[in-house]
Amino acid sequence: MGYMDELNLLKSYGIDIARTSFVKMGKGLEKDLVKFDFPFIAKVDTNEPIHKTELKAVKLVENKDDLQEFLKNIRPVEKKYHVNGIVVQEALNGIEVFIGGKRDPQFGQVILFGLGGIFVEIVNDYSIRLCPVSKRDARDMVQEIRGYPLLVGARGMEPVNMKKLVSSIVNASKLMMDENIKELDINPLFANSRYVKAADVRVIR
Amino acid sequence: MIDKFFNPKSVAVIGASKHPHKIGHVILWNFLRGFKGSVYPVNPNEDRILGLKTYSRVTDIRGNVDLAVIAIPARFVPMVLEDCGKKGVKAAIVVSGGFSEIGRTDLEDEVKEIGEKYNMRIIGPNCIGVFDAYTQVDTLFMPRYRLERPRKGGIGFISQSGAVGSAILDWAATRGFGFSKFISYGNACDVDEVDLLRYLEKDKETKVIGLYIEGTRRGRELYDTMQKITKKKPIIAIKGGKTKAGSKAASSHTGALAGSADVWRAMFKQAGVIEADDIKRMFNYARLLAEQPLPKGNRVGVITNGGGFGVIASDVIEGHNLELASLEKKTINKIKKHVPEYAVVKNPVDLVGDADAQRYEIALDALMDDKNVDIILVLILFQTAGVQSEIIDVIANKSDIKKKPIISFSAGGDFTRLHMRMLEKVGVPSFDSLEDAADAIEKMYLYSRYFDSDE
Repeated sequence: MGYMDELNLLKSYGIDIARTSFVKMGKGLEKDLVKFDFPFIAKVDTNEPIHKTELKAVKLVENKDDLQEFLKNIRPVEKKYHVNGIVVQEALNGIEVFIGGKRDPQFGQVILFGLGGIFVEIVNDYSIRLCPVSKRDARDMVQEIRGYPLLVGARGMEPVNMKKLVSSIVNASKLMMDENIKELDINPLFANSRYVKAADVRVIR
Repeated sequence: MIDKFFNPKSVAVIGASKHPHKIGHVILWNFLRGFKGSVYPVNPNEDRILGLKTYSRVTDIRGNVDLAVIAIPARFVPMVLEDCGKKGVKAAIVVSGGFSEIGRTDLEDEVKEIGEKYNMRIIGPNCIGVFDAYTQVDTLFMPRYRLERPRKGGIGFISQSGAVGSAILDWAATRGFGFSKFISYGNACDVDEVDLLRYLEKDKETKVIGLYIEGTRRGRELYDTMQKITKKKPIIAIKGGKTKAGSKAASSHTGALAGSADVWRAMFKQAGVIEADDIKRMFNYARLLAEQPLPKGNRVGVITNGGGFGVIASDVIEGHNLELASLEKKTINKIKKHVPEYAVVKNPVDLVGDADAQRYEIALDALMDDKNVDIILVLILFQTAGVQSEIIDVIANKSDIKKKPIISFSAGGDFTRLHMRMLEKVGVPSFDSLEDAADAIEKMYLYSRYFDSDE
């Protein structure tokens, strides 16, 4: 499945996504990218599970210099991995969370929720439920993580839109079941008081 | 049909033996102690065992046989099961080992097929079977002087492991905990944890279900079944054999998270199952939920005859999602009339060192009527001369009203232990650790909230 297809699959299940365009690799890459209005997020699209942040394969591009730097950064990535193209996305803000899913050998599809970005693996702060989840299950999942205070406005932070967050989890669980998904990574998902939008997704059937 | 395992009118003990140290002897002996139905020993080499006419084959028995208990070497089991099928037996417990657990899946498949052919349900093989405290069906092949049988009560306990199950039963019986049924289901070639849960769901004697489980072949059904049951009665589970690792074959980040132990834990939570970290805790939760009514809230009233333990009780209560109740004025006035002037009457209510059963009764009555108290924790130090054994009756009478949960705490030696066991036997859960008591009360409170939620 292509990058845009995967994002559109989320959209069709009622999960909001970042405004996104896709640029194919090739000689005209730089020319194609310059056409977009700054600022935007540029990131590499590959089928391999790479750490885009670690490899500097994702960047907030605010001007032409940033763009040059990004193009320089991705050269070694291109050599090592098969790169499908460059994703150009609106720059989002808020707290990064993730929604994941997998097929458990004993219990079937399960859904995960936690703090996103690099926090997933380092802090291991996530909750799990069997699919399908009810709204109540989804609320429990959100409240269960240790980072919960960050989502409800700790220390003057902006509280996230809980209704949209809960419905994103419920919808992701529906997606897992209906499409019989093997593994799902929606990470990061940006959450603030106005929106909850997915910026990146991987779907393995 | 599962009912035939617990309520048979007649039982054949296949592999019955004359020799006291043989399994087939212990099982037969068990059935002669309190079981009301007919008992038929089966052994081709004997005419009479323990004074009973002994049959060569099940098919030789004239009357109906509801339940067959099979304790013979594995290789003979299929043959004997064929006989049982022909005889019309509807329930068989295969105690014998030597099947899939040692790689003989072929032999186990054969057992399973015979069961299916004759529409006969099978528990086992490789299990210790069933103990029913009410009907006295008892296939546990450990003699009663080694493994004490528990009194009648409300805990139904299902254990995949026979060793865990039997040791715990003995441990629990000695402490006075009451059971409805105990089942060790072993290799589960036919009857498994889902069947047994569904049976205990409908069983009137079972108020609480305890489950020791290591794995399942029916994950989704287990989940659905438990979720349904916990709306009616509590389930407390221990998962044995937790592997931390996520799937190594995972190709996404999420795939590497959520190992089997995490998923089990989440499943229990979602199904409303109370997970216990160890056996002791399982029974701490179970006896509370089996014997006492669910609380309406989390405010605890404490009565004590020792100030220091009152202080510790306050501390552990605060640390456990519970609140120390603030007593109504009338409660305080009522109690003040009956205690020495120097006694401090607030929560905890300190009845002071010379308190007797009567003073406890007054305090219990006052707390029962206090609208600010949801749960009553009674601390009794039996070391003081004022506390006589009659206090057991006083507390039992209040507990029998089932208005608010009453839990007791005592600490001490043999004299104390004796009284704790007496309390336990009359249905008042008795703890020797305030931390354990608060932990159990918290679990009971959380379950009451789950139980009341209608979403």
